[in-house]
Amino acid sequence: MAKKGVPEWLNSSLWASSSSPPASASTTAAARLPRSPPSPNPQAPALSPIPEPRSPPCPNPQAPTRSPIPEPPPPPRPPQPPTEAPRPSVEAPPDDRSPSRLSQEEVSRQFQFLAEVVNIGELRKLASQGIPDGTGIRSIVWKLLLGYLPYDREFWMQELAKKRSQYKAFKEEFLMNPSEMARRMEESAGHKNEALETGGCGFLMRSEITHDEHPLSLGKTSVWNQFFQETEIIEQIERDVKRTHPDMQFFCGDSSLAKSNQEALRHILIIFAKLNPGIRYVQGMNEILAPLFYVFRNDPDQDNAAYAEADAFFCFVELLSGFRDNFCQKLDNSVVGIRSTISKLSELLKKHDGELWRHLEITTKVNPQFYAFRWITLLLTQEFNFVDSLHIWDALLSDPDGPQETLLRVCCAMLILVRKRLLAGDFTSNLKLLQNYPQTNINHLLYVANKLGGSSAG
Amino acid sequence: MVLVLAIGDLHIPHRAPDLPAKFKSMLVPGKIQHILCTGNLCIKEVHDYLKSLSPDLHITRGEYDEDVRYPENKTLSIGQFKLGLCHGHQIVPWGDLDSLAMLQRQLDIDILVTGHTHQFKAYKHEGGVIINPGSATGAYSSMTYDVNPSFVLMDIDGLRVVVYVYELIDGEVKVDKIDFKKTATTQSAH
Repeated sequence: MAKKGVPEWLNSSLWASSSSPPASASTTAAARLPRSPPSPNPQAPALSPIPEPRSPPCPNPQAPTRSPIPEPPPPPRPPQPPTEAPRPSVEAPPDDRSPSRLSQEEVSRQFQFLAEVVNIGELRKLASQGIPDGTGIRSIVWKLLLGYLPYDREFWMQELAKKRSQYKAFKEEFLMNPSEMARRMEESAGHKNEALETGGCGFLMRSEITHDEHPLSLGKTSVWNQFFQETEIIEQIERDVKRTHPDMQFFCGDSSLAKSNQEALRHILIIFAKLNPGIRYVQGMNEILAPLFYVFRNDPDQDNAAYAEADAFFCFVELLSGFRDNFCQKLDNSVVGIRSTISKLSELLKKHDGELWRHLEITTKVNPQFYAFRWITLLLTQEFNFVDSLHIWDALLSDPDGPQETLLRVCCAMLILVRKRLLAGDFTSNLKLLQNYPQTNINHLLYVANKLGGSSAG
Repeated sequence: MVLVLAIGDLHIPHRAPDLPAKFKSMLVPGKIQHILCTGNLCIKEVHDYLKSLSPDLHITRGEYDEDVRYPENKTLSIGQFKLGLCHGHQIVPWGDLDSLAMLQRQLDIDILVTGHTHQFKAYKHEGGVIINPGSATGAYSSMTYDVNPSFVLMDIDGLRVVVYVYELIDGEVKVDKIDFKKTATTQSAH
C-alpha cells in the first residue's frame, strides 16, 4: 500500500474506547467506492450468517448502526480501490478486522468475509493493536504476518499442501535412527536374508557391510557416526522441551496431549538443528517456538490444528531468520549481534528518557545486558504470562520490518512505565525489578511503545 | 535401537597386555547401552575400563578371573529378546554346539553369548542363536595359539538383530554383519 505514515486519527485516543471507528470508516468509505455489487451497508447484518466467503456484496459487514463517531477523513481508503478495480467484481475491499474493541461475534463474522486478497498493510496495522483472544483468528493472522500464507487466498490450499508435505519429507529424512537407515539402504540395494528367517539350523551367514557402515564407525560419512555426534544436541533439546512452560497443561504433564505436544516441539527443534548446522540448537529456541505452536494447535479449524507441527516449523524458521544472529555466539560482539542490539535499546532509552537512562546506567550501573538479554533473545516470552505475551507478539509480528524495531520500543516502554520505581531504587532493587518485571496492562504498554515509535519518526 | 557389546576372554595381563589399538579407538563411551562380557578379563582394571564404556555391564565368571564374585550364568532382557551369558568352560565338550544348545534351553533364552574357545561363532538352532565373540585381545586359548582378536556388537531393533562382527585380521579391522529376526512366537510355559 502506498501509505507512508499512520494517520493521526488512527493513533488517537478513540482506540482506547470500545467503539469501532475504523470499521465504520471503511463502511462509509466503501459505500463511496464504485462497486458494482449493491451497497454493502444495508445488507451487512442480513448477510452475516452466510459462510460463503466469496459473496461479493458484503466486504464490511460491520453494522453501520454503531457509528456515533464522526466520519474520519477518507484519505486512507481511496488508495486501495485503484489497485483492486482492475480485478473482476468478486474482489472485495480488504478485510477489515478492527480487533479487540468489538464483540467477538462481530469479528468472527467479519472473518467469514475475508477478502480474496489480504491487504497486508492493513492487516499489520490492525494486528498491532492486538488480536482478540476468543475469535480463533490469531492462527491465520500470524501465518499471514509471517509470510507463511500467501496474500492471495486462492493459493492457500496449494501452499499449505506443499509446505506440509515438505515437512513430512524432512521428518522422514532427519528423524530416522541409523538402524532404520541401514535397513532401508539394504532393502534398496536388494539384499535379502530369507534363509535366516526359516527354522533352519546351522552357522549363520556373514555378509559384507558396505561403506564402513557399522555402529562404531568413526568415518565422517557414516550415518552412525553422525547420529552419535548429534545425540548431545538431541539430549539438550529434550531437556529443554520438558521444561517449557511447566505451569501449562498444554505443554507439561502426564496427559497424552502434553506428551504429543512435547514430541512435536522436539521434532521441530531437531529438524531445525539438523537443517542449520551453523546455528544448531541454542537454549531458548524452545521458548520462541512454544507460542507459535500453541496458537496453531488451538486453531478452531480442525484441519489446520492437525498440521500445527508443520506450520509451526516454517513459521519458526521465518521468525528466527530475523533473530539468528542473536543466537550465534561468535556474533555477540559484532554489529548484528546481541550486544549491539542491546546498545540500540540503550540509545533508545537515552533518547526518550535521558534522566532514567542516566540513573540506570551511570548512577546505579545496571548494565542493560543483565535484563535486556532475556527480553530480546526470547522476545519477551519470559517476562509476562502466556496470554499477555501472545498479545505482545501480535504487535511484534505486525511490524513490517521485522519484530526487532517494535521489540526495542516495547522494551523501552517497559522501562519507562516503571521509571518511578527505578529512579527510586539502587542497583539491587532495580535489577530485581527488571528481572521480575511486574504485571502491567499490556494494552497500555503497547500504546506507550507505539507512541515512542510515532514520535521518533524514523 | 539398542547397542549391545559382546566381548570377552581378554586374559589381561596374563596372556595379553591390552586390547589392540584399533579396537580401543573404536570403543568409546556414549554409544553402547549394554555390555555382555563372557569372562576371563582377568583383573579389576579391565573391569573398570569396560564400566567406563557403558554403565550397564554384565560379566560371568571365567576360570582365570581374579574376582570370584561374578556369577556362572546371567540372563537379561533387552527389548524383545532374552539374552543369556555364560563363560563356557563349564560346558563340556568345550564349544560343542549341542551342549551349548542344552544350556540355552535350560536358561530359556533367545540369544546365548559364550566364550572360552576364543573363536568367533554364530550358530542358529531351533531354540535360538549362540554367539561366541571370540577373544578381544587375540590371547591364546586352551586349545590353540592361532587366534584373531574379535568382538561382537549387536544392534537390537524390535524383533530384528543385526550382529556386527569386528575382527582384526593382519592388522586391519574387518567388519561383517549378520542379520536375523526372531519370529514372534508366543511364550511357552514350562
